Amino acid sequence: MYGRTAAIVGAAHSQIGEIPGVTSQGLMADAAIAAIADAGLTPKDIDGILVRGPDDEYAFQQQLGERLGLNVSFTTSLDNGGASQTLSVILAAMAIEAGFATTVLCGYARNSWSRTRMPGSRKARMNQSTAARTREWRDSWGYFGEPATHALGAQRHMAMYGTTKEHLGHIAVSLREHASRNPSAQMQAPLTMEEYLDGRAIVDPFGIYDCSLRTDAGGAVVVTSLDRAKDLPHTPVIVRGFGSHNNLTGWWVGDNMVKTAARQSGEMAYRMAEVDPQDIDTAQLYDCFTYMVLAQIEDYGFCEKGAGGEFIASGALRLDGAIPTNTSGGQLSEGHVEGMLQVVEGVRQLRHEYPEHRQVPDARLALISGHGGNTVCHTTLILERG
Amino acid sequence: MDEVLVRDIPQPTPESQPFWDGAAHGELRIQRCNACERFWFPPSNRCQHCWSDDVEWRTVSGRAELYTFTVYRRAYAPALKEQLPYVVGIVELEEGPRLVTNVVGCDPDEVRVGMPLRVTFRDIGEGFALHGFEPR
Repeated sequence: MYGRTAAIVGAAHSQIGEIPGVTSQGLMADAAIAAIADAGLTPKDIDGILVRGPDDEYAFQQQLGERLGLNVSFTTSLDNGGASQTLSVILAAMAIEAGFATTVLCGYARNSWSRTRMPGSRKARMNQSTAARTREWRDSWGYFGEPATHALGAQRHMAMYGTTKEHLGHIAVSLREHASRNPSAQMQAPLTMEEYLDGRAIVDPFGIYDCSLRTDAGGAVVVTSLDRAKDLPHTPVIVRGFGSHNNLTGWWVGDNMVKTAARQSGEMAYRMAEVDPQDIDTAQLYDCFTYMVLAQIEDYGFCEKGAGGEFIASGALRLDGAIPTNTSGGQLSEGHVEGMLQVVEGVRQLRHEYPEHRQVPDARLALISGHGGNTVCHTTLILERG
Repeated sequence: MDEVLVRDIPQPTPESQPFWDGAAHGELRIQRCNACERFWFPPSNRCQHCWSDDVEWRTVSGRAELYTFTVYRRAYAPALKEQLPYVVGIVELEEGPRLVTNVVGCDPDEVRVGMPLRVTFRDIGEGFALHGFEPR
């Protein structure tokens, strides 16, 4: 059993938004250098690198090492989509406890805004990263894009539990409210329910405001032993527990799209951390689409399955709500960096770094999630203020 | 906007070829396990349930229920623009497996989770036909 011996000691992100002229590697380097400096460490302290970039960039971690001039004992790049980034922190904690590395840089960067504006990018995007087996059973029916996959889940949830478009709207509006207090966020202008409902339709029930952003940015954290953390400048953020579950049988098998892998992943993390959902002070959830926040709020036990719509409409996600969620604005409003900014925000909240209008009062425990791959991979981190 | 490649013509594998041969004949064929007597989809060389390699292709009823769906309001490729709005659904066959389809033969705004459907086929050239599902 993991002995709670690892802590996050550095956390940072690059500029977030529309940043032409920088590659994903460049953004990763910006975030990595800032996170190492935030930890009060130097490059020679890093002996592990677990970073990842866009799916079509091979051996991202090796390229980063070359760029930063680092040789390390432990490195790899993960292949679980949006679940990879929290998984990298989990692997770092296990590697440190096992003596496989002492100080591990975890991160992710992408230049999604810039690359979608390059010639040929649309064609490249539609032909990348999806397994041929998946494509054979989707493309001919005009089934393209991740929005549709999550919309299928949302529609099923609506049919089963009476969830409404307005319920999803409260997620978009609440997260935008958080982003309006975040000077780094890509979208800071307030969003009203009327604007949400008038948003351009994409795939029912999703409109434009149900979808996360195209972002240029990188995020990174530094993980080391709790012993070592005590000599470093910031309050350590302890990796208290973690979990993972992967419904590899598929998104549309069984109830997987309604009762997601977050359930089992969360149960494992709660058990390891020896805490309950009501002990969690803030949640930083993988919000590729509004619906994934709804599903996870239920799957993590913050309310009953099927009751998420009303729970969220009551203001649960707000800073003074039952479970302040995605307090930087999340991927829907701060920027989409495949879950890495969720880790950074969780650390900052637990350090009590923010002014009062952005700080979750007395935050002691944060739950961070990652979700992705073929919509079936899920990882959970429970972090504790040291 | 760049010209986007839409693979309207499927690219069968040795494992899926019988499915596409069936579709070309207006039949929905899926695999059934002779050991555990269950069906599964998509095609593979062994039973997905019990891993037996004693498997056969069966023409099934084509009767299904709509598990969930979405209506495309925006085209992901120029070639799809004229089809808007169109419905992508997941149907559950009477025999158990679920598969991706288009829901056709009704107004997209009339589509509902749970509606009873039956299979229909549309020729798309080069010897291929695609299944759709329509209300029954």
